Amino acid sequence: MDAVIGKVDHSSLRTNQAVIIIGLLVAFVLDLPWLVAVVALVMLAGTAIGRPGFFFIYTGFLRPLGAARPHILADNPEPHRFAQGFGGVVAGLSAVLLFLGAGPAGWALAWLVVVLAALNLFLGFCAGCAVYYWLNRLQVPGFVKSPPVGTVPGMRPRA
Amino acid sequence: MSAMLVRLLLAVGISAGLVGAWRLASAFVLWRSGRSASRLGEFARGTPGVVFFTTADCVTCKAAQRPALAALRARMGEAVQVIEVDAQDNVALARDWAVLSVPTTFILDRDGRPRQVNHGFASADKLAAQIASVA
Repeated sequence: MDAVIGKVDHSSLRTNQAVIIIGLLVAFVLDLPWLVAVVALVMLAGTAIGRPGFFFIYTGFLRPLGAARPHILADNPEPHRFAQGFGGVVAGLSAVLLFLGAGPAGWALAWLVVVLAALNLFLGFCAGCAVYYWLNRLQVPGFVKSPPVGTVPGMRPRA
Repeated sequence: MSAMLVRLLLAVGISAGLVGAWRLASAFVLWRSGRSASRLGEFARGTPGVVFFTTADCVTCKAAQRPALAALRARMGEAVQVIEVDAQDNVALARDWAVLSVPTTFILDRDGRPRQVNHGFASADKLAAQIASVA
């Protein structure tokens, strides 16, 4: 299994999580299924290009304005990509259910994404990353990265 | 009541419930760590303290948390005691105190009971305020 070889800007990740939480909460309060779909699409597009979906808010506004500073940690980007992709799929399912009229189930999935993003944002625990490392332990093909040394799988690594 | 207001109240209620669940979990961590607090041999009763969990290769611990604790000691002198624990050398203790990452700091009252926990870096100001609240 590969050791940690990458660097990850956790400020960019946190910005992404905050925007996802705000977007989905606004969608819930204003009952806007299309906004859930937009959040899901941005998350999936970000996963496809290997970046946090809402990275442009961080690089285009927050960082130039000095509202956020880079927080680069030795970390594997792949688990975060997997986590975002997983969250994007759940948010996408939520949007589909909402468009089909299954409101309670759709919003429950949206709230699941909110809770998991909040866990990551406020407590530094990335549930999707933990799942990735669990699959790595089970030697599932494609999940080649091990957690950073001395870090509980899924927890934000030390600086 | 409009549907939007109901949804807003629901969102606030769910969020408050989640925060409450987190606080309960934190209280559980403090209760659990309190059960093994007696294993901190260095603690001298009568003075509040900070238990600082670190590891040899933790850069944040060296670059930020240790200087913050040094500043706290410079400011408070004998009114606070700092106990540093290497989480990799004391795996059982770190597990009992539910330490998942470093730096993690616990605030102990005069009797050595853990009263507050900080996951991640805690500034000297924050630690001083926490110490003052349990002193």
